[in-house]
Amino acid sequence: MIHDIYTIYLREMLRLRRQRVRLVTTIVMPLLWLGIIGNAFNNAFKTVGSSLLGGDFLSFLTPGILIMTMVFTATISGITTVFDREFGFLKEMLVAPIKRESILIGKMFGGVSQAILQGIIIIVLAIFMGVSFSGASSIPGMLLTMFLVSIAFVSLGLAVASKIKSMEGFQMIMNFLIQPMIFLSGAFYPVKTLPSWLKIFVRINPLTYGVDAMRYFAIGINEFNVILDLTILAIFSILLILLGGHFFRKT
Amino acid sequence: MQRVEKMQRQAIKIEGLVKRFNDIIAVNEVSLEINEGEIFALLGPNGAGKTTIISILATLLKPTSGRAYVNGYNVVKEAEKVRKSIGIVFQDPSLDDQLTARENLDIHARLYHIPKEERRRRIREVLEMVELYERADSLVKTFSGGMKRRLEIARGLMHKPSVLFLDEPTLGLDPQTRRHIWNYIKKLKNEGVTVLLTTHYMEEADSLADRIAIIDNGKIVVFGTPSELKDSIGGDVIKIRCSNVSKLKDRLHENGFDAKIINGEIILHVNVAEKVIPKIFSLSSGIEIHSIMYKEPSLEDVFLHYTGRAYREEEASGIDRIRMRMVRR
Repeated sequence: MIHDIYTIYLREMLRLRRQRVRLVTTIVMPLLWLGIIGNAFNNAFKTVGSSLLGGDFLSFLTPGILIMTMVFTATISGITTVFDREFGFLKEMLVAPIKRESILIGKMFGGVSQAILQGIIIIVLAIFMGVSFSGASSIPGMLLTMFLVSIAFVSLGLAVASKIKSMEGFQMIMNFLIQPMIFLSGAFYPVKTLPSWLKIFVRINPLTYGVDAMRYFAIGINEFNVILDLTILAIFSILLILLGGHFFRKT
Repeated sequence: MQRVEKMQRQAIKIEGLVKRFNDIIAVNEVSLEINEGEIFALLGPNGAGKTTIISILATLLKPTSGRAYVNGYNVVKEAEKVRKSIGIVFQDPSLDDQLTARENLDIHARLYHIPKEERRRRIREVLEMVELYERADSLVKTFSGGMKRRLEIARGLMHKPSVLFLDEPTLGLDPQTRRHIWNYIKKLKNEGVTVLLTTHYMEEADSLADRIAIIDNGKIVVFGTPSELKDSIGGDVIKIRCSNVSKLKDRLHENGFDAKIINGEIILHVNVAEKVIPKIFSLSSGIEIHSIMYKEPSLEDVFLHYTGRAYREEEASGIDRIRMRMVRR
């Protein structure tokens, strides 16, 4: 079984190697966010916001952009199953003497690796921009958060991909589910000062806790208890893994 | 003695197979036995149920009722054992075109748990067989349709399956490439592989298959070796064009000939055409005969005879061409 999972994973990695261009293009958006929006507001907020943000805006924004990029990448990697179905490779896997679960898990780890790889690239870029991260001791926490967020959204991508048959449908999910979740997660702004009606949406959004945990580990700023963050995130991930697994097995 | 016994073993056994999709009966009470080492063709128009039968045998679909065995394993209860012992080339392309030919084969070999050393050797063997070894490290997306097909056949053979399913192996390929692929399929026979192929090309079934089952509307109409099938409808086929088709047909009927009118021509099955043609002339007083042709029956005539309608290969392949354009983009 581990052998089979590795084979599926290997294929995902071979594909990733061929898509270096895509890897670069997906770095462009976070780079624009950090380089332009981050630096622009950095100066604007210098006088009013540092007490509210707990630091400079660029550092505050970096964990949010990190999560945003990983959520996009992870969800889109679920799209590869749609591609597989359209281009027939899924059949090649389904007719092989391996368990459906191996295909599922292999694909999940493929997406997670891709998202984490992208996260690491952004961290390196942010360091060059002058963002100061907490010390090396926070790396395990960051990796754990990155893992939980990416596996949750890879699973969501897989669940959606199993249900939705077209690329147009996938666009819908990105626009009506993923984007709102990111905007309502506190990735770009502090939750503390939000109007109360907006705060409700932000508090029921599981991704809020992912952003908060990331911010805690990366730059030492947080709004909620980090244990609460990780617990909610873990529950969210497990639910989505089960959902993704359920839908995937049915196809 | 043991050898004889092995020779006669059945690679595939199908008993009363039925598959329904909601109201549509795709496969209707099909029973079939395919011997080890033979090339068997399911021949029929599009939508006849050929692909459905293959999908059931390859464990991708569950039958509504009936039983099917591949290499003695039940396709429902022992699906994993079946999958281990078969190779399949799907009708639609199923390669990963972002990977190279070698990588596609390597992933396949890993899925079938072939050890590393053997993997390397087999990749070379199968690629040489389909004459693609020089292109081993090219990305599949740079391959032509025919090359992709050959690579898929090579992949289907990687793990030395004892049964290979080929679903429309030459669909949408040009005649030259088609012949090329036929040669590979014939080679497989020497290696003792049982081949079950589906096709709607008469010529393909005729030139490749040891035995053919003609399938129409989910049912097997008739099966046998190509020559058995042709012999079964009589020695020769005569086609007559004349000024009054129905009148001549009636006269032929009165004289005990089994004549049919198809596409404005009289079609007649007889034992020896040379002896019958003078009789036709003697019966045709008052009718102007434009032409009389005769030939040995083709599979097309067999299809016509057993289903009562003409075989429309061109029409089918027209649809395929549109379909291929969409799939092979």
